Amino acid sequence: MSFLDFQLAYSGVYANMRMVHVLTSVVGTKCELKVRNGVVYEGVFKTYGPECELVLDAAHRKGPEPVVGPRHEDIVESIIFKASDVVVVQFKDIDLNYAKKDNFTDSAVSARLNGEHKEKDLKPWDGGEQHGSDSLESLDADMSNGWDPNDMFRFNEETYGVKSTYDSSLSSYTVPLERDNSEEFLKREARATQLAEEIEASATYKARVALENDLRSEEEKFTAVVRAERESHTPSGRENKYVPPGQRNKEGLSWGAGRQNSPRMVQSNNNVPSTRPGPHDYSLSSAADRVLNGGATWPSPCPSPSRPPSRYQSGSTSLPPRATTPTRPSSRPPSRPTRPPSHPSVHGSSAPVSTMPKRMSTEGPLRMSPKTQRTPRAHRLSSSRGGIPSGVDFIPHSAPVDASIPPPAHSSMSGGTWSSVVSGGEQHSDLSLTHRPRSPKQTTLGSSPAGSCPQVGTTPIDPVAVPVSPTTASLASNQAITPSTEAKESRVQETRQMSPVANKEIVKPVDTSPSIGRPVNKGDTLYLTFPASHEASTGDKIAPPPPAPTMSTATPNTSISPGSSSSPSSPSSSASPASVLCPAPEYKRGPEVTSQGVQTTGPGSKLDGQEDKEEKKDSVQEQVRKSTLNPNAKEFNPRTFCTQPKPATTPTPPRPQGQPSPSVVVPQPPTVYSQTVCFPQMYPLTPVSPGVQVSGPSFSFNNGACCFDFTTVPSMPQQRQDQHHSQGTPTMMHPASATGPSIVASSPAYSAQYFTCSPQQFTSQTLVQQMPHYQSQAQHVFSSVMQGSARMMAPPTHGQPSLVSSSTTQYAEQTHAMYVSPGPIPQSYSHPSATLHAQHPQPSATPTGQQQQGQHAGSHPAPSPVQHQAAQALHLGTPSQQQMYSALTPTPPSMNPGPNTQSTQASFPSAQQAVYIHTQQVQHGYNPSHMAHVQQVSCRLPHVLFTAKAHLQSGVVPSHHTTPSHPPMMLMATQPPGGPQHSLPQSALPPIPVSSTAHFSYMAHPSVQPHHQQQL
Amino acid sequence: MAAPGPGEYFSVGSHVSCLTCLGQRLQGEVVAFDYQSKMLTLKCASSSGKPNLCDVILINLAYVSDVEIINDRTETPPPLASLNVSKLATRARMEKEDKLSQAYAISAGVSVEGQQLFQTIHKTIKDCKWQEKNIVVMDDVIISPPYQVENCKGKEGSALSHVRKIVEKHFRDVESQKSLQRSQAQQTQKDSALSS
Repeated sequence: MSFLDFQLAYSGVYANMRMVHVLTSVVGTKCELKVRNGVVYEGVFKTYGPECELVLDAAHRKGPEPVVGPRHEDIVESIIFKASDVVVVQFKDIDLNYAKKDNFTDSAVSARLNGEHKEKDLKPWDGGEQHGSDSLESLDADMSNGWDPNDMFRFNEETYGVKSTYDSSLSSYTVPLERDNSEEFLKREARATQLAEEIEASATYKARVALENDLRSEEEKFTAVVRAERESHTPSGRENKYVPPGQRNKEGLSWGAGRQNSPRMVQSNNNVPSTRPGPHDYSLSSAADRVLNGGATWPSPCPSPSRPPSRYQSGSTSLPPRATTPTRPSSRPPSRPTRPPSHPSVHGSSAPVSTMPKRMSTEGPLRMSPKTQRTPRAHRLSSSRGGIPSGVDFIPHSAPVDASIPPPAHSSMSGGTWSSVVSGGEQHSDLSLTHRPRSPKQTTLGSSPAGSCPQVGTTPIDPVAVPVSPTTASLASNQAITPSTEAKESRVQETRQMSPVANKEIVKPVDTSPSIGRPVNKGDTLYLTFPASHEASTGDKIAPPPPAPTMSTATPNTSISPGSSSSPSSPSSSASPASVLCPAPEYKRGPEVTSQGVQTTGPGSKLDGQEDKEEKKDSVQEQVRKSTLNPNAKEFNPRTFCTQPKPATTPTPPRPQGQPSPSVVVPQPPTVYSQTVCFPQMYPLTPVSPGVQVSGPSFSFNNGACCFDFTTVPSMPQQRQDQHHSQGTPTMMHPASATGPSIVASSPAYSAQYFTCSPQQFTSQTLVQQMPHYQSQAQHVFSSVMQGSARMMAPPTHGQPSLVSSSTTQYAEQTHAMYVSPGPIPQSYSHPSATLHAQHPQPSATPTGQQQQGQHAGSHPAPSPVQHQAAQALHLGTPSQQQMYSALTPTPPSMNPGPNTQSTQASFPSAQQAVYIHTQQVQHGYNPSHMAHVQQVSCRLPHVLFTAKAHLQSGVVPSHHTTPSHPPMMLMATQPPGGPQHSLPQSALPPIPVSSTAHFSYMAHPSVQPHHQQQL
Repeated sequence: MAAPGPGEYFSVGSHVSCLTCLGQRLQGEVVAFDYQSKMLTLKCASSSGKPNLCDVILINLAYVSDVEIINDRTETPPPLASLNVSKLATRARMEKEDKLSQAYAISAGVSVEGQQLFQTIHKTIKDCKWQEKNIVVMDDVIISPPYQVENCKGKEGSALSHVRKIVEKHFRDVESQKSLQRSQAQQTQKDSALSS
C-alpha cells in the first residue's frame, strides 16, 4: 500500500531522495540560472516541482554589467523555469549543513567553528601576581558557604543605606516557646522528643533521608550492570574498613534500595542450590540451626505479642507502610529492650551482610542498616505491645543457646508463631535446616568462599550461644571485622533506641539481641539472597534456581511468620525473624513438598540438607545469610499484614524487587529502600495471607500451600495475582507488573533484563508500536487471566498441571526472551534471535534448574523457575500438584519471571491462542532456540506448554519487530516477505510496519504451530 | 524504483566533468542525479574560496556534452540528514526581502555608499527601510544623503545615539578597508614589480 502511495505521492524528482535533499538544502539561497538561450537569471531559489521545475523568487535578468544591482522594476516576483529550459543552475557559497537539524551535536558545532576556520591560538593563562595567596587553591580551601547573612545586612546598610528588619526570633511569624519546669511542659517536651525520635527512627524517614543524602552516583544507582566481582569484593573489603557513621547510614539506606536486593537475590539463589547439599550444612548447619533456633526462639517470644510481628514487619521493613505502623506502635519501653537486640542483630546482620555480598554491592549494607533500624522499631513495638519484649527475646535466645538444638527452639517457637502455618517443631527444624542451606547459599553468593569462612567462624560462635549467637556471633564476628556496618546500624538504632543495649548486644547480644539481630540478619539475608541470585546467574550453576526460591522463601517465610505471628501476636515481631527463617526452609521444602507448607516442612528440611551437603563450605555462610534472609522475611511479614488488604501494594513491591535486582532501581525511584523492603513485604503479604488464612483468600489459596512449598513460587504467584488484579486492566502496567513480580521472584538478572529491555524498547523502538504489542499481548494474557483463566489454569491443567505451569514458564521464557531481545533488537533485529536463544537457555536452565542448574547456571534460570513455580502453584492450586509442577516447572518458572504476566496469560488456553497469533511470525527465526528450550523444558512441560511458549516467543518477536519498525514506508515494502521467518528478515529490513507484522504473524501461525508440534 | 538507479549513470560521490552547450566547463562531485529529468547535481569548491562553503551546480544533462567520470565513488554516500524546512523557508523569505529592499533603493538612485550603510545598519537593526533616498531606522531616525553621522536626525535619545554609533563605525570600517585594500594593492604592485 504504502509503496504505491509512495510512488504516487513522490513522483519525478520527488522520488529521488538525494536530489530532493540537495535541492531542499539550497532553498533560500541566491542562484544564477542559465536558460537555453544563454540568458542568466538571478534570484532566490524558492522551491522546485516534481518535474524539476525550478522556482526563483525576486528573480531578475542578469545583465552584462555585473556591478549594478537590479532595479526594483527589473525584479520579478517569482519565475518558474521548466527543467527543459534550464541548462545550468549555480548556487554559490552554499552551506549544505545550514538546515541540518543537528546543529548542536559536537560534530555539527565543530564543523562550523562559528564562521572562522582557522584554529585559535592557544595562549597560556596568566593569572597575574596579584592572585598569589588568593589563587584557586585558596578558593578550594575556602569552605565558607557564601556570605554570612550579617555581612549581607552590613553591606546593604553601608552601600545602600538599607537597614534590615530581620528578627532572628521570627516573632512576626511564630510565637516563641516559653520554657518552664512545669510537669506539663516536661511531659510535652518528652513527648515531642519521643515523637521526634520515632519519626527519625522510622524506616520511612530514613529511607527518605537516605534518598536525599545518597552519595552514590547516578551510575551506581541506576546501572543495570550487575557487578558480581564488586559485590563479592566489597563485602570483605568493606567489612574491615572503617566507615564513618554518617556514611554508614547513608550507605545502608541508600544501598538498601533495589540494587543490593537484586544482587543478593542472585546470590541467594546460588546459595540455595549450594546449600541444598545440606549435609555439610548440617555440620555448618549447626550454626544455621542455631540461627534458626535463634529465630525460633525469637518467634516464641514474639508469638505472644501478635502486634510485635506486625511492627517488626513494618519496622524491619524499611517500607513506609510498615514504618508508620511500627514506629508509633513501638513504645519506648519495649523499644528499648527490642532495640538492644536489634542493635546486635543489626550489627550482626550488617556485619555478615557487609562481609557478604551486600557490602560488596554496598547496597546490601545500606539495606541492612535500614532494615536493622527498622527491626529495632519493630522490636520496640513488639516489646511495648507484647509487654515481654526483651524478656521474650531473651528466652528464645537462651532456649536456642541452651539447646543448641535448633529443632527444640524452633518447635517452641513454631508452637507460638507457626502454630497456624506449620506444626512447629519439625518445621522449625526443617526451617533451621533450610536456613542453613540458605545461609550457605547466601554466603556463597556474596563471596561464598571467603565469606563462608568468616561465617563459619561465626557459626562456631553460634554453637556457644546457639540461637542468638549464630546470627549474633556471626554478627559479632562481622562486627569485629566490620565495625562500621554495625556501628552504622547501631548508632542509628542506638541513638534513638538504646545505644547501651546495642553495645551490650555485641557481647550478650546473642541472647537478648537475637531477635533484633535476626531481624537485621533477615534483612541482610534478603539482601544476601539477592546477591546470591546474581552470582548464581552469573556463574553459579545450581545456585540460580535455589536463589530464587530462597528469595521467595524469604518473603514467604516472612509472610508465613506474619501469619503465624498474627495468631501469636506481638512475639511475632521477634518471632517473625525466626518464623521467617523457618518459613524459608519450609518454602524450600515446600517446592518439594509443595503440597502444603506445614506438612512439607520436613521435606524442605531434607532438601535443604541436601543442598547443604553440596555446599559445605558455603553452608556456613549461607546459613548466616539464610538466617538473614529469614530476618528479611520477618520484615516483610509486617508489610504482608499491612499489605494483605491492599493487593495493589503487593504488586508494586514485586516491581521494586525486579528493579532492585537489575539495579535498575531507577524505575522505582519512589523509595529505593522501600523497594527492597517492599519486595520482601510484598512477598510476606501474599504468603502471609495464605499462611494465616490458609483456607481463605483467593490469593493465598494456592499460595498458602504453594508459598510454603515454593517459597519463591508462592510469592510470585501471589504477586502475579495481585498484579493481575490490580493491574490487570492496564496494558502497559500489566506487563510491567507481571515482569516486576517475576523479576522479584526470579533472579535480579531477570528483572534487570526486563526493565532494561523495556526501556530500550521504548526508547529505541517506536514507542507506540511496541506499546501496542505489549498491550495487546498483555491484554490478551491478562484478559484471560483476569477472567479467571489464570486461576482457572489449575483446573485445565489439573490433569496436566505441569503443562500449565510449563506453558506459563514457557511464556515467561518467551517474554524474557522478548524482553531481552528488545534491548538487542532495537539495535539489530538479527540479534533478537540470538538474545532469545541465550535467554532461552537460561530459562531451560531454570526448569532444569535443580537438575541442570549447574549447566544453566545462568542466574536467570534460577529466578525464573521460582516464578514459574509460583505461577504454576497458583494455577494448580492443589498443593500436591503444585509440588509436581514445581518439580516439573522449575525451569519454566525461570522463563516465567520476565513473561510472568504473559506467561500467566499464556498458561490460560485463551491466552495461548492469542499468543500463537502474535508469536508465529517470529518463531521461525527463533526456532532453534525454541527447539532447544522446548526440548529442555519438554521433559517437564507438556507439549501444549511448549507450543504456548513458541507462541509466546513468536509473539514476542513480533513485538520486537514492531518496535524496531523504522520508517513505515520502508518497512511496508520489506515486511511482506518476512512471514514466519521474518525475525531474520526483519532484522535485515529495519522498517517494518507493525500492522504488517501482525498480519504476518497471523499468517504464519499455522506453519509455526506445526513446527512446534513437530519439535515437541 | 523501476527506473535505473542513479548508480547506473552517476554514482553519488564520484567526480564528473562535463561541457555545457554554452561552452561552460563544469566539474564536481556528484551529489544527486535524477534519471527522468536528466538533472545532475554537482558539488564544487566554493567559487569564493571559503572553506566551509561550496558551490552547488544543477546541470541539465540534455544540454551537456563531454561527460566524463574522473573517478568513481569509493565509499558509500553518507546518510541524508534531516532538514529544518522552516529554517529554509525563513531563509528564502529573508533573502527575497533583502533583495527587493535593495532593488528599491537602487531604483531610487541611492548611492553605493548609501546602500552599503543600509546593509550595515540592517545587520544590526532589522527595522530599517528606504524612504526615497532616506534610510529610516525604527521609524525614529532618518539618515539622509550623504549618510554621514551628522546626517542622522531624529528625536534625541538612545536610539539616535545608537544609530550614530553604527554609522560612525560603518564609515570607519569602510575607511580602514579602503586603506587596507590600498596597501594590499600597493603591496601586490610591489610584489609584481619585484617578481618582474
